[in-house]
Amino acid sequence: MNASPATHSRNESQGVPTTTSQPTKNAIKGGRWSTWIPGLLVLFALPLLLAGNPFYIHLAVLICLNIIFVNGLALINRTGQLSFCHAAFMGMGAFVAVICTTRFHTPFFISVIAGVIASMLIAFLLGAVILRLQGVYFVLVTFCFGELTRLVLLEGGDLTGGANGIANIPPASLFGFTFDSKLSFYCLAAVCAFLSVVLLIALFKTPKGNSLDAVGDNPDLAEASGISIQGSQMFAFVLGSAFAGFAGALLAHYLGFVSPESFNQHISVAAIIMLVIGGRGSVLGPILGALIMTPLPELFRSAIETQNIMYGITLILVLKFLPMGLVGIGAKRFGKGGK
Amino acid sequence: MDFTFLIGQALTNGLIIGLLYLLMAIGFTLVFGVMRVVNFAHGEFYMLGAFSAYVCVTKLALPFLAAVLATFVLTLILGWLIEVVVMKGFRGDELNGMIATIGLAMILQNGALMVFGPDPQSMPAVAEGVLALGPVMVPMSRLYVVAFSIVVLIVLYVFLMHSKGGRALRAVVQDIEIANAQGIRSQLMYPLGFGIGVALAAVAGALMAPVFSVSPSIGSTPLLKAFIVVILGGLGSIPGAALAALLLGVFESVANTFMSSSFSDMLLFGFVILMLIFRPAGLLGKAGR
Repeated sequence: MNASPATHSRNESQGVPTTTSQPTKNAIKGGRWSTWIPGLLVLFALPLLLAGNPFYIHLAVLICLNIIFVNGLALINRTGQLSFCHAAFMGMGAFVAVICTTRFHTPFFISVIAGVIASMLIAFLLGAVILRLQGVYFVLVTFCFGELTRLVLLEGGDLTGGANGIANIPPASLFGFTFDSKLSFYCLAAVCAFLSVVLLIALFKTPKGNSLDAVGDNPDLAEASGISIQGSQMFAFVLGSAFAGFAGALLAHYLGFVSPESFNQHISVAAIIMLVIGGRGSVLGPILGALIMTPLPELFRSAIETQNIMYGITLILVLKFLPMGLVGIGAKRFGKGGK
Repeated sequence: MDFTFLIGQALTNGLIIGLLYLLMAIGFTLVFGVMRVVNFAHGEFYMLGAFSAYVCVTKLALPFLAAVLATFVLTLILGWLIEVVVMKGFRGDELNGMIATIGLAMILQNGALMVFGPDPQSMPAVAEGVLALGPVMVPMSRLYVVAFSIVVLIVLYVFLMHSKGGRALRAVVQDIEIANAQGIRSQLMYPLGFGIGVALAAVAGALMAPVFSVSPSIGSTPLLKAFIVVILGGLGSIPGAALAALLLGVFESVANTFMSSSFSDMLLFGFVILMLIFRPAGLLGKAGR
């Protein structure tokens, strides 16, 4: 659990934010809808200006899917837990959706829902077992569970296609419209990413969202206020894993193939890095993290070792000097401490 | 193939691998006990240890025993420095410390990739010949591994139990404030604990270097096994870790005689999750939360 200071100047259970001179982990609260909605619309519309270049659109699609993916991890993290099997749920969502599409020829919409429900169900069962554990055990077990999922997908025989995975997945289609070009899929991915962000902003404006933050900030205090730690963490774990499954199902239908290796521990770690560098404890953090960290590996394919060393150094520096991630810089500068 | 022979062979191999898992897990537990940090770079230190032994033996023509000793000393110093330079700000900070070790793992692994390249290297066996224990054949090179591991474990035990530094280290693990009040300089204990912990992982890597091939990516499996050992044994319980490591080694060897390694891994993970339902504190661990 995080060792947050015992002095809390925010009234957690009522969700009344008061300005603090000493920012806690979740000092950056969601702003007003009137700022968020236009801002997000402009952000997601920007890539349309680059519609001429398929590579940029491809990157934009990946960024949108990563936003959904990291949003799920951020939600789990805001209750004070860190999941190391986030990619496993992405893989589950992807494989279940793809198996529905290719085997049972269900419509895209139904396949995605099946993938999301599968992720939620497994997350619920796993959460029931491991959420009783201390923070450290949670990390160790989720790490092992990620490995287990990869092995299950690898040994799945005909159903999962083994190491080769499943190829020739038909493109996504909704209401008779087929998303078979990069640009059209971008529109779908952007809408989904937009909705996932809006969902999080809305959630953290409700008392339920505040209770999640309270559990992350100070579990003992939250429990004393009548908030169930396990209940909150379970809610976040299931919903956050659903985000991952959703992103996976979209990704599979975008790329047209899935393989177990696309969902190994490196992907879980990449999500954690995006979250930490972007910023924990704010809705903007995952967006910023995905926006910055998704294009980098694609742009610097040649010097992969150097780039990874820079990643590692950046990660440590951000942890040391910007515990709230890059979002923290803006928050400090514009004094958005309590809002 | 005689059945008892197979089982005997698997048991022997299992004990050998179990000893290495134990070295990994004890180092991991030591780092966690002192720093409260889950060390995701532990596998990378195993990898560095393997490379260190490889370089000492093939490039510097040192005898294997000297290579293992040099590896221990070098990684102890490296771990000390890394603790002071990188991990100092994360002492006692479970979540951020853990993420910092992920960054550390990336730096070490990719550094090794740059220096040694991605291809697996092999080094000569430590000893030739085979020892026959009844029907079971044990390669001499693996007997060396057992002997070294046991020596390392005994030295570690004596250090922790009967030396001033070891007692100070255990005091810091148990209660840092009381330890400070007793005049123990915990500022020194952090880098010492981290250094010894990662040096144990490096020694495990050095011992396995002649048996397996050496490449920058070999750290991930031992890391995962160390995780499983501490989950099964209960984090912080050395006897629990010893039991779990030997059981894990034997299970793997026996299972791999009959099925693919990925299938035996699946069984193992299934068992880990089942055990967490019934004994969340580990085999011998004290109750967790």
